[in-house]
Amino acid sequence: MTALSEIVTAPRDRLSGARALHWVLAGALGLACVASLQVGATEVTLSAMLSKLVQGEALSQIEQVVLFEIRLPRLAMGVLVGAALAVSGATMQGLFRNPLADPGLVGVGAGAGLGAILAIVLGALLPVWAIDLAGNQLTPVAAFLGGWGSTLLLYRVSTRHGRTSVATMLLAGIALGALAGALSGILVYIADDRQLRDLTFWGLGSLAGASWAKVLSAGPLILISIGAALMVGRGLNGLALGEATAAHIGIDVQRLKSTAILAVAGATGAAVAVSGGIGFVGIVVPHLLRLVSGPDHRTLLLNSTLLGATLLILADVTARVIIAPAELPIGIVTAVLGAPVFLWILLKRRGLVEL
Amino acid sequence: MSLIAQDIHVAFGKRDVLRGINLTALPGELTAIVGPNGSGKSTLLGAITASLPFRGRVSLSGRDISVMKPWELAAQRAVLPQASLLAFPFTVIEVVRLGLQSGTAGHRSEVPMQALARVGLAHHAGRTFQELSGGEAQRAMLARVLAQVWAPVENGQPRWLLLDEPVSSLDIAHQLQVMEIARDFARAGGGVIAVMHDLNLTALYADRVAVLAEGQRLALGTPSDVLTNDTLSRAYGCALRVSTPPPSDIPYLLPHAASA
Repeated sequence: MTALSEIVTAPRDRLSGARALHWVLAGALGLACVASLQVGATEVTLSAMLSKLVQGEALSQIEQVVLFEIRLPRLAMGVLVGAALAVSGATMQGLFRNPLADPGLVGVGAGAGLGAILAIVLGALLPVWAIDLAGNQLTPVAAFLGGWGSTLLLYRVSTRHGRTSVATMLLAGIALGALAGALSGILVYIADDRQLRDLTFWGLGSLAGASWAKVLSAGPLILISIGAALMVGRGLNGLALGEATAAHIGIDVQRLKSTAILAVAGATGAAVAVSGGIGFVGIVVPHLLRLVSGPDHRTLLLNSTLLGATLLILADVTARVIIAPAELPIGIVTAVLGAPVFLWILLKRRGLVEL
Repeated sequence: MSLIAQDIHVAFGKRDVLRGINLTALPGELTAIVGPNGSGKSTLLGAITASLPFRGRVSLSGRDISVMKPWELAAQRAVLPQASLLAFPFTVIEVVRLGLQSGTAGHRSEVPMQALARVGLAHHAGRTFQELSGGEAQRAMLARVLAQVWAPVENGQPRWLLLDEPVSSLDIAHQLQVMEIARDFARAGGGVIAVMHDLNLTALYADRVAVLAEGQRLALGTPSDVLTNDTLSRAYGCALRVSTPPPSDIPYLLPHAASA
């Protein structure tokens, strides 16, 4: 027995590679941040501002506004939203044991959207103390509740005896999305003019409305949810073996599932509340990372967080410069890149019996 | 020190699958559960592993399993399911490592490679699990289970292998290999419970056999005591002839013996 294990050595370890990738992706995120601050609709560039500062000159009024009131909050929101979308995609895929599960595709985003619209249109009907208590958190929290409800419902519908049916999940997601969309439509009808304006801006699926107020409103929920998601890595690995076996190797499956569902709902809800629906980040990012460094969730979740933030910022830079001085909604950029990847995964899996 | 199941009842809807089963398995022994399709073999293992709701009591070395945490149970017993499910393209060695407790030496431990070598799959360690054949996948899952309870006795406590049809998709050579592994685990002081279909393999390797039929225990004893014409014919509902060919006198069944 010892002789055997001496002859055959263990294969290359993907885990250490995936851990090294944390640093590479962190570096990439740093570069993307610089790029995002550098370019925009105005002539103001980061490099010019930095050389001014080095020479001891003060920044002009315009430069200050562009940097601190426009680009920095937009960058912060891009980092938060990209990280939230990617990590909730990776978490949901682990929970449903399927690489096609993405909050945006299976109705969780629509459920979160319904929550956000409810808060925008009917929030004023809440008692004053509740509005005061919720403060700027009202829309994100309502979106979180909507996302939570839809994730729970979807999991109940599509999972039997610890096995998730992909077909049921995707179809139930369509139904859920349609229902949430219909209810949202009714709310749009009863909305007044000011609310309609809010809704229109919100529904664009863009970072264009970024402000420090929005960053502060979505930030806490997103950070808490990412923190929760980063704790379920080992559990999601076990869940890949099915719920029963996950329990047999010592995982508290019920707690794992509730934590994962809350993390998905929190991250998706808060991201949807401030940026509308930005698609495909949650499906593309974890898929690319699985190709490069394997499916181990202990590293996949953090790597998804970093790469999601990086890609969303780069998509936003693209959206801002490609038809400058106008800009594309970022949802178009992510869909153009993401939809083919989704189809590719689907085609690759068609031979398997799982669908 | 034993694994004791007392008065186990399981119902699926209105159907009573298990009706008051008692089973005691001792460490150092390989206990086989046999019986016809639908007799409740896998359901009994499901109750013993706390994978499904049941009435009754299961205790492991004197502790009621219903009050034990998942990780406490995982430290004492490993479970091989019938089907080897796996989502995502993990490699074979990564799958085997999934069985390790988070507290142990982690990915630097040599146990996973040794477990793979034990089932003869060390050369496939770096392959994607989904590329394995059905039989290889089953053995890889066995390696994962072995890695989880690598030492059959730890801190003076026996550990347990609970196997649901461990040889169902294996060729004859690997059937023998897997049964040898299970018996060696028992010989080293661990406990093994295996749901079995093949009565001849059971006769060859089991120290104790429980025969189930229609959700009840028909017999419990050594293979020679239990694998008899009378008991098996009652359990399986057809005439069977068991012979005990010399020199070992281990019970042996031939299908054509039924009509002889």
